[in-house]
This record gives sequence, structure tokens and C-alpha cells, in this order.
Amino acid sequence: MKIGVLKPWLFVFPALFIYIAVIFIPTLYTLYLSFFNWNGVAPTKTFVGLSNYTDLLLHDSVFPRAVANNLLWTLGSLTIIMGIGLMLAILLNQKLKGRIVFRGIFYFPYVLSGVIVATIWTWMYNPMQGLFNKALELIGLGSWAQAWLAEPKFALYAVFVAAIWNGVGQPMVLFLAGLQTIPQDPYEAATIDGAKPRQMFWFITVPLLRETFVIVVAITMVSSMKVYDLIYAMTGGGPAESTHVLASWMYIQTFKFANIGTGSAISMFLVLITLVIIIPYVYYTTKKSHL
Amino acid sequence: MEQRVHPISKALKYVLIVVLAAIFLLPVLFIAFTALKSSSDLLTRPFYMFPEKLQWHNFVQAWEQGRMSMYMKNTALIALVKVPLGILIEALAAFALTRLAFKGSEWLFALFLIGMMVPMQATLVPLNMILNKLGLVDTYPGIILIYLGFGIPFGILILRGFFRTIPKEIDEAALIDGCGVMGKFFKIIIPLSMPAIATLFIFDFMATWNEFLLAQIFITKDSMRTITTGLLAFRGQYSANYPLMNAGVLISVVPVLIVYVAFQKYFVSGLAGSVKG
Repeated sequence: MKIGVLKPWLFVFPALFIYIAVIFIPTLYTLYLSFFNWNGVAPTKTFVGLSNYTDLLLHDSVFPRAVANNLLWTLGSLTIIMGIGLMLAILLNQKLKGRIVFRGIFYFPYVLSGVIVATIWTWMYNPMQGLFNKALELIGLGSWAQAWLAEPKFALYAVFVAAIWNGVGQPMVLFLAGLQTIPQDPYEAATIDGAKPRQMFWFITVPLLRETFVIVVAITMVSSMKVYDLIYAMTGGGPAESTHVLASWMYIQTFKFANIGTGSAISMFLVLITLVIIIPYVYYTTKKSHL
Repeated sequence: MEQRVHPISKALKYVLIVVLAAIFLLPVLFIAFTALKSSSDLLTRPFYMFPEKLQWHNFVQAWEQGRMSMYMKNTALIALVKVPLGILIEALAAFALTRLAFKGSEWLFALFLIGMMVPMQATLVPLNMILNKLGLVDTYPGIILIYLGFGIPFGILILRGFFRTIPKEIDEAALIDGCGVMGKFFKIIIPLSMPAIATLFIFDFMATWNEFLLAQIFITKDSMRTITTGLLAFRGQYSANYPLMNAGVLISVVPVLIVYVAFQKYFVSGLAGSVKG
């Protein structure tokens, strides 16, 4: 009997142990570190209470920019990337010649690493030899040419364009999967009633994709809060710290400035925001799977 | 859902798709063009024109000077240990969660799920301290352990989702046949779950191959670098030699492209499957 009770825990143990050691305890310890001033090597840490948090909110010149950039990134992802993904899914859900090939083309950038995507696009944005400026010159708009990634006004948007190329495949595939579960009958009934395609989209397709929307929105928001690779490898947060997001600013504070407390506080902001987004989603998923 | 549409609007849609696909392929084409040019060719010939003479040796040079083979070997080694080991650990847990009903299993699953959302940033400093204590900084066991941890939530989500679809009657039949719990796991559940395991394998392999942040922090020796941090170092070194740099990028795309084309259906079904839970 004793073995019987223990048995499931024996199966779960390796996963649970590694999970707790790698994710759970370190996260809690980071929370602890966020209440201290520490440079990572000194034998003593100074307890400072919440001042790492208040300093970030009140005195850090980059933190508000980073938060704003994360929010902009989220907004852009929820509208542009999700929108293009949905549009592609709807187009490719019809019987088109070569739709498997097209699906493959649009999804492919998503399987590339952020560093590869960043390197490709940094080259495209190259001020002298890059595709964008060369193409502008070619069509007589040479005066519009820019050092795209070195200009604070444009840099974040330039990186985001790379993110669009990199990212539309994911919502596209999720929406395609969602569309395939929609039955044919409502469309037939609507056609008989004389509904226009646009009406069918808003009153049939969108409501029936509700579950897919929940998933795509949750994934998009979380990955927008975590965005790091592309920004680090394209601008490093520059020019003039204009493209920092929470993840990259945390990296700089922790590993370049050795402000472990400040870096930890930034991580905790990230955790907090992510949990606020995700707890309703996890609740929804676990509940649904009970049915 | 196949809607009957007007032929003209169908043609328009087709044009739209083709144009979008062309835009999506453009960056890759531009990279390939640059990689095959000589440095002087790059300056004198318009960007849209085919290279005067194909400079295949750019690839040889990038491969050798960029130490691409070393970075790829390192990454493959890490991935080929991490991925199967991770799947075994995750499958054991998912098996307990779905087949050995126990108190708190729902809570445990929720706990694992939350881990998928925790930003890696929130773990870096303590992980660094732990690895230091254990003497595992700049070692493959160290980075593999960390990769295992971050792979567990997604792996359990996928495998639990699939195990749930295997009818319980099959297990009960196995029990009658005298299979123990271990037998049930290895002889029934694992073989029946091969489609999900294959999907997870490919996904996890790609995620490991592409991982950047953890590799950046926990592997600092050049001879141990993975392909992402290696490519970044290569890029820093040859930032002025555009053809060589682009050849390096293209070389690092090739393995991903091969895996992608060979297993395309797994990518699509896997992603869709992961969210049906």
C-alpha cells in the first residue's frame, strides 16, 4: 500500500526535481535578491527593501522606455502579426494550388533562431550596401535612405519589421488549425440567407475561432513580454538605449553593470506581468481539460 | 471550410499570396546573392543582379574561419543528449499525471504549466550561482541540466495531452495480461505515443538548436559555443566582410532548412496539437 501511494511520485520525481531546481527555486531566489544591493561577487549583500523597485520606477532613465517598448511590441504583435497570420490562414484555408508550399514559405522564418533572423535583417538594413537603401536609391528615393538601426526614431520599428517576418507563421498555423475545426453548415445556411463574405467572416468565422483567439492572444502577449534575442542581436538596446525592452535591460543591469538587485527587480516585473497575463489562461486550460 | 468564391476574387487572392510569398523569400535571396559575390562585385554590381562569378569559396572560408563545424557539432551534441533524456523524464511525469491518478495531480500539472511562462531572466543569477557551486559553469552537463528544466513544462503539456487520448481500456487489458506499471509505460504507452514523441523531438531539437540567452550566459568558452552564440561571434569578427558573413548565415540556415523540409508536417501538427491540450 505504501509503495502504491509513492509510485506516482517516483514517476514524477525526475521532472519535478529538475523543474524545481532550475525554474522554481531560482525564481524565488531572484525575488529575494531584488530586495538587496549586490554586485554579484562581494561577500555581503545590503538589504534595501523595495528601493530597487522604486528606483526603477522613479529614477531609472531607461526602465520606462523599456516598459513602453514592451507595450508597443505587444500592441504591434496583437494587431499586425496576429492580423497577417489570420489573413494568411484564411487565404490558405481555401483550395489554392500549392498551398502547402505557401504555408511552408510563411512558416519557415519562424523556425530560424533569433540570431539568424537578426543577422539577415541587420544586413538588409545596412546603410551602405543593404537592400532597403539600395532599393530606395533604385526607385529614386535615395534621400529617404537611413541608417535604420542607428536612428532612434526608426530603430525599434525596423526591428519589429524583422519580427513580423520572423513571427507571422505561428499565428497562421494556429489559426489554420482552428479554421479546420469549423463546420461547413453555418456558411451554407448564411449563403442561403444572402450573407456577404464580410458578414460571414465577422459573424461566423470570428466567433467560432474564439478558442484559437484565446490561445494566440495569450502566446503572443507572453512572447512579446519576453522578446530578447532579436533586439539584443540587432541593436543591443541602442541607439541611445531607445530599443531596450525589459529583458534586454535586465541583461545589461545584471551582467554589464553588475547591479544584481536592479536586474532582479526588472525580472520580477517581467514575472509579474507574465503571470497576470497567464494565470487566467492556465486556469481556463486546466478547467477545460476536466470536461 | 471551403467557400465558393467568385473567380476574379479567387485570382486576386492568388496574386496576393504569390506577392506576399515573394516578399517573404526576398531576404533569403538577398543573403544568397551577397554570399556568392566577391567583395568588389558587391560594390560595383547592382544588388539585384546575379553575381558576376559565383564565389563558392566564400562558403568554404566561412565554414573554416567561422568554425561553423565546431559550433554545429557542439550544438548537436547538446541537443542529442538533452532531447531524448528530456522526453523520457517528461513522459514519466505525464504518465503519472494521466495514468496513476493521485491527490494533487491537477495542481502539479498547473505548477508545471506556469513554468512555461516564467521568463528565463528571472532564473539567470541564481542558476549561475548554483552552477558555480557545482563547478558546472562552462560545461555541457551544466547547460544540459538547465535546458532540461526549461523544456519540462512544454514536454509535459504535449505528452499529457496525447496520453489522455489513449483509451484506458488498452491499459486495463495490459494489466490483465500481467504487465506491471513499468511494462505498461514502456510496452503500451510509449509505442502508442510515437507520433507525439516524434513531434516533440523535432520541436525540442529546434528549440535547443536555436536557444540563445542561456547559451550566451552559461557558455563563455569559444571552443564550447553553440551555433547561435558562435554565429554572433563570427558576425562580430567579420562584420566588414559582407559576403563572408552572409555565407556564414546561410551555412547556419541549411541544417534548419533540411530538418524543416523533411519534417514539415510535424511542425504544423505539433504546434496545433500543443494548444488542443
